[in-house]
Parts: sequence; structure tokens; C-alpha cells
Amino acid sequence: MSTTSTIVMPGERIAAIEELAKSKRVILGPGLRRLDDTVVASKAGPLRHKEPGTFWVDNYQRRYIPARGDLVLGIVRAKAGDLYRVDIGAADTASISYLAFEAATKKNRPDLNPGDLIYARVLNASADIEPELVCVNSVGKRGKLGVLAEGFFFKCSLNLGRMLLRENCPVLGALTRELPYEIAVGVNGRIWLKAHSLKETVALANAISALEQSGCAEIDKICGNLGDFLQT
Amino acid sequence: MFMNSNLFEPGKSKPERSFVQLAVKQNQRFDGRRSNECRDVELTFGADWGTVAVSMGDTKVLTHVTCDMGAPATSRPNEGKLQLNVNLGGVAFLDEVQTTHDQRSLTLNSLLERTFRSSRSVDLESLCVAAEQHVWCIRVDVNVLNHDGNLYDASTIATLAALMHFRRPDVTFTDDELRIYTEKEREFIPLLFLHYPVSVTYCIYKSSGQPIVDPTLLEENAADSVIVLSFNSYQELCSLNAGGTAPTNVRTIMQCARNAATRCKSLVDFVRKALLLDEERRLQGGRLVNGLVALIGNTQHKLSFNKLMSCQKQEPQPAPTEKMELDNESSEKPEVEEIEVKEEPSKQETGDAPMDSSGWLPQDEDSQELSIPSDASTSKAGKGKQNRSKNKANKKPQQKKQTDHSDSEEEARQYI
Repeated sequence: MSTTSTIVMPGERIAAIEELAKSKRVILGPGLRRLDDTVVASKAGPLRHKEPGTFWVDNYQRRYIPARGDLVLGIVRAKAGDLYRVDIGAADTASISYLAFEAATKKNRPDLNPGDLIYARVLNASADIEPELVCVNSVGKRGKLGVLAEGFFFKCSLNLGRMLLRENCPVLGALTRELPYEIAVGVNGRIWLKAHSLKETVALANAISALEQSGCAEIDKICGNLGDFLQT
Repeated sequence: MFMNSNLFEPGKSKPERSFVQLAVKQNQRFDGRRSNECRDVELTFGADWGTVAVSMGDTKVLTHVTCDMGAPATSRPNEGKLQLNVNLGGVAFLDEVQTTHDQRSLTLNSLLERTFRSSRSVDLESLCVAAEQHVWCIRVDVNVLNHDGNLYDASTIATLAALMHFRRPDVTFTDDELRIYTEKEREFIPLLFLHYPVSVTYCIYKSSGQPIVDPTLLEENAADSVIVLSFNSYQELCSLNAGGTAPTNVRTIMQCARNAATRCKSLVDFVRKALLLDEERRLQGGRLVNGLVALIGNTQHKLSFNKLMSCQKQEPQPAPTEKMELDNESSEKPEVEEIEVKEEPSKQETGDAPMDSSGWLPQDEDSQELSIPSDASTSKAGKGKQNRSKNKANKKPQQKKQTDHSDSEEEARQYI
């Protein structure tokens, strides 16, 4: 991934990509749109590029747009017949069938109540129908998915969630050196955390939310300062 | 409560709620504050009279006061009007459902109404130009820009500061002709106050007996009950709003009330001090804050509570110590009586409450307060009214220019 940051605005025509598209195959990611022969940005933010030909706009956003395969954290809102309505921070509430849990049968329903937090995968997402979630993988095992009890949960921007999930992201590694903890990051900008003590959980939550305002350069500093967060 | 509230704001999921309960039990807060510690309050005065931005942490409120000539209500022909408007547009993102929005703005509006209007803090009679014909209509617009808990205190502080900062033009009414002078012709006149109320908010949780002051949005949403107390600078109760499901005993409420009274007094002192500084700045012809963005973002003109009040503490302060001595002398006798009257717990409390710095709180005032929780939220402090009318009588000859000093003198005089 290149670090050149040209800022693009919605509606801006990006000639560089058009040029490249003439010679080779180009993939347009989120925030970019093709209108006939032109490439136009649909969101504001720095333009990112990944070799060989992937482009996207890394815009700041808090409203989640569901996409198939995403791992999300959702709050159960209501029971509706054989479905649960789950708030995942998207424009529409998602639904999850009570059969979409490990070892669930018609007789043996999972015990979920409004307010419960679940970690789930988006099964299908389309602009016109409400997104559907599952808490099992293709062979019916729950893996890491399911209800998250205890711990602390907070919301952040989608960018921060994505940054934490990036493979080469130093944050979680740096924090692990300080203390042991469990974390679940949803790409919908929601984070669940659990450490041994309440104090440690609060410190971790504060450290991670502090990353929201900081650039990549400050990550090490903030993670190193975790000790300070703990004392306060 | 749970279902119709939206899930966009924090504190609506079970893990969050149980975590906050646990944290309160262990006496921990997320921003490292103690349970009796408030966030810093910052005031910024705009270039216009009566424009104030208040921020407490991430909670931001912008208040603007305007005035207009109008006809009085037929029931009160010789009184001006005070209109309080709350605009929650800035935090509309929190309100997924219309009902939560309505609820939020209604609660806030009724708190402001009770704190400022029903307690008659502004002398409305002085706003009358010609009875039954022309009165000033003062309109306060409270704009909530960001909500991170404790909107109540932020908006009462903002409203008080804006009203105190506000100046209205001078006006004459002769031969059926109304003449309003511009600032160049005659100097603008500040509003007259009978007392200065502000509120303090406490959250109470089932898991812990200790109430926490100045909650953030997460703490507020996870709370079992929220108590909002308005006190004026004379430490009289102006409104009490206690709701929710947590069992609260008299002792807790009394403890809150005591601490709130001192906090309110220092808040009012802070606002006064900030106003003085602002006036100085204006007299020097210093650069005023230009425009809205500067008002909210400018750090240069911010007047911070912690900074202002801490430097005040360093100065020798004769007034309170004097008063303390006076109180000790005068209150010795009533105290004996009170032991008989009061229940024991409240007596102990004065001893053991660690955050209680209100030892100097006049004892006769205490007994007054004690009766208040019993007659609950509507209490308009009937006894306070007498005091207030006395104040009014005292103040009338002095008219405006009411400084900090004269205030405390007056206060002391009453208690002797």
C-alpha cells in the first residue's frame, strides 16, 4: 500500500486511474465509482492505492454499510417470531434466525434477550433487503462467534475498526506486550474488550479510543503510555 | 425504557450497563475522575451580548439571548416575559426515534423553566416599560451542539451565563411613543436578578450507594436514576428532579443536596468572575471572538472553571472565613435543637461524608433544606421566597452593579 495521500472530494474525476485502466486491469474499491469511461470519487478522503491495480478512498465514516462476509458486533433489539432483530449500526436493523447458532434446533432455542451483544458474520447484504447475520460457520460450528457476555463494549469510527483489523497493525501487538486481554473488533466500528480486571479494561478502552484522534506515528507512544492510563 | 431508546448512543447494551455498574461499585470512572469530581467547565463569550458557549468535556452548548418589545400576558400586566427555547438539532444523530428526541428536549426545557422561570430568578418586573402595553420579551435559545452527558448542568450554566452577560437597550416611553436607544446613544442595561440558580446532576446506581456527579453519556444512560438539583448562590433549592428506579434514601439525597449547594455557589462565583474578565477584555478593546466557529473552537478566549477558581483559592479570601466564625457562633444553639428534630443519619452524615466541604453551610439553612425532599419536586422553597423578597428589598436601592462582595455580605447579614 502506498502512503501517498492525494485527497479527493466527491464528484472529483480521477484521471490517474483512467490512464492506468487503459493499459491494465484496475479494481475500484469503496468510495470510487465508474461512470461510463470516467472514474469519479463518491466519498471524501485520501486516495489509497495497492499494487497492482486496486484503488479506494479511505474516508472517515461512522455509519456502517453491510457487506457479505464482514464480522460485526451487534446489539439484540427485539425478538420477532423466529428471528432476532439486531442493531449493527447500519441504516437498517439486521436479522438473525434462531437456528443460526451452534447446536440450535427448533426445540433448543438460544437464549437471547434485548440488550445482548453478539459477534456475528454478515451472511448476505444488499441495498434492498435487510442484512442477515449468522453465528456459525459453514460446518455449523460457532468458532469465535456468538454472545459476548461481560467485558466492556464501545463504539468508534469505522476507520479505527478497520485499522485494528489490518494484518500489519502494530496496535494490538503493542498492547499485548503490556497486558493480556480478549478483544472482538467489528468492522462496523464496535469493539468489545475484556481484561483481567476492570481497571485494565478501562485502560485498554481509553488507549484504543485515544488512537481515534492520533496518526500512525503516535501508536507506539500511546501503547507505551498504557501504564499511565492504568494509574489514572 | 430499554426498548424505545435507540441504540446509537452508548450505555444501551447489557455489557455496557453491567460494566458501568461494576465500575461504580469499585469506585472507578472511565475518565479517571473520582465520584465527586466534576469535569472542567469552560465558558466562551461571544462578541454579541448574551452569546455564550459552554463546554464540559465533550458536552457543548451554545446559548444566545435576544430581546424584543412585546405585549405582556393579561394575567401579569406589569411583568416582562422570559422565554426559554431548547434546540437539540445538534444531537439529532442520537435520536433515532422521535419519542426519545421529544423526551430529551421536554426534560431539558422543563428543567430550565423550573430553574429560571418558576423560581423567578430574573426580575421580570424591571422589564416592564408600560404596564399592559409594552414589556421586554427576553428569549433564550439554548443550542445543544454535542451531548456527552450532563446536558442539564451545561445548559443551566450556559443559560445563567448568557442571561448575566446579556444587556438590553435602554428605552423610554413618553406620550405614547416608544423610543429604543442604540448602544451609541445610551449604554445598554444588564438584566436584574433576584438570585442566580444553576443545577448539578447526580447519577445513582443500584450496585452502589455512592452517587456520582457530572455523569458522561455512558454513565448517564447506564444509571438507574438521575437526580438534578438546582440551587442558587444563596444555597436555596430551586428545583429537584429525581426519577428512575434506584432506591434512594433521604440521606443520599441530602448528601447530594449539600454538595450540590456548594458546587452551585462556586459555579455562580465562577460565572461572575468570568463575566468580570470578559468586561475587562471589552474595556481594553481587546479582540473579541469573531463568528461561531471561533466561539466554539477558539481556545484563547476560553475561561476555565478549574483555572479561574484555583487562582481564586490562592488569594486570601476574607469573606468565607469570617462567615464561618459567625456561623459557628450563631449556629451553636440551633444545632442543639436540630439534634432533637433531625433523624440521626443526617447528623452522622455531616461527620462522615468525605466530600462534604460544606461544614460552613449555615445550619438554619440546613434545616430548611431538610424539609425540602419531603415535599418533593414541585417544592418552590416557600420559605426561600421570603428571603428572596428581602433580598430584593435590599437590592433595590443599590440597583445594578452587584458584586461578589456585596452579595456575601448580604448573605451573612441575614444569618446573624
